[in-house]
Amino acid sequence: MIPRKLAIALGVACLLALIGLGLFAPAHLSEFNSDRVYLGALDAPPFGTDQRGRPLLEYAQQGASVILFPSLFAGLVVGGMGVVGGLLRCVGSARVDTAVQAFGEIVGSLPRMVVILVVALLIPAGSRGLLPLAFAWAVLASPGAMDEAASVAERLGGARFVEALRAHGFSWSRVFLYHIVLLNLRPVVVRQAAETAMQVTFLEIALSYLAAQENQSSFTHADNVKSWADLLEIGYPSLVLDVPTGHALALGLGLVAVVTVMSLMLASAARAR
Amino acid sequence: MKAWWLRPMVRLVAALILPFAVPAIITMMIWALPGDPAEIICPPEICQGTEVLAARWNLDGGPWKFFSAWITGAMQGDFGKSWRLDQGGSVYDLLAESVPTTTVLILAGLLPLLLGAIGAATGLIPRRVDPVASAVGLVPAVVFALLCAAVVELNYGAQSFDTEGSLVRLALGALVLGFADGAFAGATTGVRALFSTERKQRYVGVALLRGERPLANMLPNVAPALAGQLRARVLHLLSGTVVVEVVLRINGIGDLLWSGTLLQDFGVVLAAATSFAALSAALLFIQAVTEIVVALVVRRAPAIPTAVPVAQRAAS
Repeated sequence: MIPRKLAIALGVACLLALIGLGLFAPAHLSEFNSDRVYLGALDAPPFGTDQRGRPLLEYAQQGASVILFPSLFAGLVVGGMGVVGGLLRCVGSARVDTAVQAFGEIVGSLPRMVVILVVALLIPAGSRGLLPLAFAWAVLASPGAMDEAASVAERLGGARFVEALRAHGFSWSRVFLYHIVLLNLRPVVVRQAAETAMQVTFLEIALSYLAAQENQSSFTHADNVKSWADLLEIGYPSLVLDVPTGHALALGLGLVAVVTVMSLMLASAARAR
Repeated sequence: MKAWWLRPMVRLVAALILPFAVPAIITMMIWALPGDPAEIICPPEICQGTEVLAARWNLDGGPWKFFSAWITGAMQGDFGKSWRLDQGGSVYDLLAESVPTTTVLILAGLLPLLLGAIGAATGLIPRRVDPVASAVGLVPAVVFALLCAAVVELNYGAQSFDTEGSLVRLALGALVLGFADGAFAGATTGVRALFSTERKQRYVGVALLRGERPLANMLPNVAPALAGQLRARVLHLLSGTVVVEVVLRINGIGDLLWSGTLLQDFGVVLAAATSFAALSAALLFIQAVTEIVVALVVRRAPAIPTAVPVAQRAAS
């Protein structure tokens, strides 16, 4: 088990690194430079260059700008829905429980990628972006978060727990926001939110890579912006051919690892005491 | 107290609605897009006879006419025609070509999950394996699939689309589906948590004192939860097929859906998404039936009439 302070430090560091990369992303990649083609990280710090001599740092920055806001937004949506699910269980109404279950059954019963592709069809080619897809993913992930948060609230005692705390004279806001959400739902809600942010990042990489493989425009960003999937696409030939693009693959995988570590550490930092 | 039948009933209703709701929503989307749907198939700038085409493809009478004609045809095995991918070709033929491949892929991908679940339930897979499985599960499907694609290309090169190469791609695809995105880890830890919670029940202790096997006692009681987990795992696999099939170039329904989406081929997307919805509905139905059977058959034992006289005799 990682100490909480270390988990917080690592999680926040990864998050700040992503924010830093995303905020300082250039609008366009640098000009072609045939003298600096396929340079490694040591020859063209910090990450090397691509097949046209452009720094891979710009790919990392633009990719971060593509995923940053939508993934955080999706995480917030799922976290919020988790809180709602937990609080609704504390209401203790069978009708509300049934309505929440029906919502979960309908929304959660389809393969997520299928729904995402159907949503992607709706987005006009001129206004493509990750945000609507991230929102759709968050809605699809919500039933799981609501269900888990509701289970936590039920183990807590549900409506009886609220009643008991009210009998002690606590205000509604203290009962719901502090005792239920902050003390008890926090581990579940933060973990679900962090996982969803990570999943949205992976979704973006997957969709962009699949589109790039077919020489098509990505559903998640404009054509003049590069995604982290482009790093994987540039780097992949190094696995099967004698092309010196291993540094691009390493950078792409490294960025995936940063997002994964961020998600794991934030979830670990929010675990129950 | 909440009625036991409420949850399975909600699932049954959802299972009935899904195969109709999905094509209905996609149909609404087709009409929600700017422009005439027939112009997607036959843009007036490059194609003449858009009205005739619209009439022939039921696109001239609004969304209801199109939906009712499509769903009627689909129930008879006619999924309409492809709009762009194989323009004018039968979508049924495309589905017939891709569904068996995806079925094999899903079943093969399910194998490690089932083995993991059985291993976790019986204790054959120890708890200390969980962190390793979780670490492997952190790898996203696209990265795992890329590595597998590289393995195929390195070993088979141009022959990777021959019978042997195709089989290897299918096997590696199943491996990716089974282990990436936390599939195997989820199956083992989920089943382990379920059984360890159930093992704390008093009846399991009583069964142990009687010299009975706890697993046989627990299995009927955890069957609904297991059915729920199985459904979630299969949905997870179905979702992953899109990435795996495209990256590993497997001609399955996920690849078909992706190609249809890229080319805005609503004919293909409609049929592929409805197929996924029908499968999801079948899974929901199985879970609901399991819950009903367990509630009616298992939870009624031991029979109350034999227990009451004993209690009455003891009181008297």
